[in-house]
Amino acid sequence: MNRFRRTTLWAVLGAIVLLTGLSIYGAFIGADRAQEFFTSVPLAAYWFASVALLAAGIVLFRRLLRVPSLLLMHVGCILVVLGMMWGSKGGHALQKRLFGIDKIPVSELWLYEGMDENRVLVTDVNNLRELPFFVRLNDFRIEYYEPGQLSLWSRDERNWRMPAEAGRSLFLGEELGTVTIRRVFENFKIDIKADNPVAYDEPNGSNPALEVTIEKPEAQTGRRYVFERRPGHTNPNDPLAMVYHRSIKDYISELEIVKDGQVVAAKNIEVNHPLYYGGYHIYQNKPGGQDEYGTFTGLLVVSDSGLNAIYGGYVLLVGAILWHFWGQRALDRIKARHPSSAGSQ
Amino acid sequence: MEIKYTVQGLLIYATIAAYFTAFVATLAKRPRTGYALFLVAFLLATASFVYRWVHVQHVPLQNLFEVFLSLGVACYPISWFSRRILRIGGQWADMLIGVIVLFPAGFVFHAEPQRLPPALQSPLFVPHVAVYMLAYIFMLKAAFQAGVQLITKPRIEGALLPPEQATYELIAIGFPLLTLGLILGSWWGKLAWGRSWGWDPKELWSLASWLIYVGYFHWRYMFGTRRPRWNSAWAIAGMAAIVITLLWVNLSRIFSGLHSYAS
Ligand code: HEM
Repeated sequence: MNRFRRTTLWAVLGAIVLLTGLSIYGAFIGADRAQEFFTSVPLAAYWFASVALLAAGIVLFRRLLRVPSLLLMHVGCILVVLGMMWGSKGGHALQKRLFGIDKIPVSELWLYEGMDENRVLVTDVNNLRELPFFVRLNDFRIEYYEPGQLSLWSRDERNWRMPAEAGRSLFLGEELGTVTIRRVFENFKIDIKADNPVAYDEPNGSNPALEVTIEKPEAQTGRRYVFERRPGHTNPNDPLAMVYHRSIKDYISELEIVKDGQVVAAKNIEVNHPLYYGGYHIYQNKPGGQDEYGTFTGLLVVSDSGLNAIYGGYVLLVGAILWHFWGQRALDRIKARHPSSAGSQ
Repeated sequence: MEIKYTVQGLLIYATIAAYFTAFVATLAKRPRTGYALFLVAFLLATASFVYRWVHVQHVPLQNLFEVFLSLGVACYPISWFSRRILRIGGQWADMLIGVIVLFPAGFVFHAEPQRLPPALQSPLFVPHVAVYMLAYIFMLKAAFQAGVQLITKPRIEGALLPPEQATYELIAIGFPLLTLGLILGSWWGKLAWGRSWGWDPKELWSLASWLIYVGYFHWRYMFGTRRPRWNSAWAIAGMAAIVITLLWVNLSRIFSGLHSYAS
């Protein structure tokens, strides 16, 4: 190996060790600061240099050109780094300068049901910008795992859990008695009728709660309401604290994309299933909810710049590495075992 | 430290006992008994994993308890593959690995079943975690061979590969799995969170682990087997980074991030 090549390889090792060290440093400073750090100007110089080094390697080492798996895994790396750079905020600024492509890298879209909106919030600069299309929310809902769960704690820190289903009972000992779930409310409401409080479930709305009774021998049956949204809302003299919890299964937003007054795309998006239109992916990323104006959803809108290069790079990288280390070697083994059949091919 | 007085706990303790007795029998030069017990341990580990699967009603790879349970299953098939196909010895160490990976599942991690949060309900969840777990066992075996290379004099044991070469062979099998794990994770991150790379501590440590093996290959290309101790040092450093990625990042508050639900 000549000196020049050896120096290049030392540079490769240096670049790999440096990135390893920087990654470890980045892990200590938290994701937000790490993102800022890795997309800063000095690091951009590092990314450019590593792309140049990979390209130089391909030119300098003939084996990298001759062995397809080696070539493709290194080209894959170049594509991934370039794709990441192109999709970064700096990459978007460059696209605008060079080609006049003005895309919004990442933004948030908060939408109420029945509303059409094209203004998105670019959070890092706290600035509203417009998408080239409108997004309409037809419906937003949260699905829960059934049943929920009632957790109970005694003052001496013993704890129990039970499925939040009407009719379920749990005996907690002589002193604490038996806890029974009497009713499960989706939207708890209470009225006073003939001087008595009457709890009922009102359609259209959400205030999940449980009606629980506590029965002890020789004592009056106690009745309690446990609310999902107000955990720990208990009397300080109570011997038992109760929490009603439901685990979220999914957030679902029924979306339509409207352009020039026409619906051009529609999808019920949920976590892991974004909608793609016009160079943007729309993700169910933030949970939605309800307030005095209605039901809303929180969406993340991300430009697709650089994504094809990244995915193309991934395919090359994985395919080439699998072939290089598994496929080729398995083939060599088979050939070594059956020299005659290999020779006849 | 907690003892699990449950069927799940019993299965884990029986598996640990079987792995351990297999290890002792092998060291006591009773290879047949050792092998039979190793097989029993594998069957018990599989039963334990399947039991958990039925109990939580999803592939049990969600938290550290379940992940370590799966590592306990992978020991035997990887050991078998390494010996039969790659001609790599050290089966007694694989038995010990079985004990080591199941110990935290049996005594440290909580087995409280959890429901899958929305982000984990993806077809990429199982392959992403599963390939990582397989990669980790191969890399652990590689680090073990590297350790043998560092502390013993080279000697050829029959038809088995010498430790330096064994280390390379194991890394050559584990590295594609590690790459696949990283890329599946990135793809999944894009679908769930909208970005293929989020600079989260877990992601950065897994990148660091991957890069150390990339460094290993380039180092070995430069120096071949002329500096075997250095080759071994790379393999051990890679494993150290993996341990940090798998454990420290999830268990320590220093590295809070999106992957923290895995703890
Ligand atoms: C930074 C610039 C890089 C240069 C100049 C470079 C150059 C080289 C060279 C010359 C080889 C030896 C090929 C041979 O076996 O004959 C090689 C091998 C290899 N490179 Fe790179 N490389 C670079 C970065 C990377 C990166 C980022 C990866 C990550 C995938 C990578 C993965 C590999 C692998 C897996 C091998 C195969 C080693 C083996 O067969 O044992 N390289 N590289």
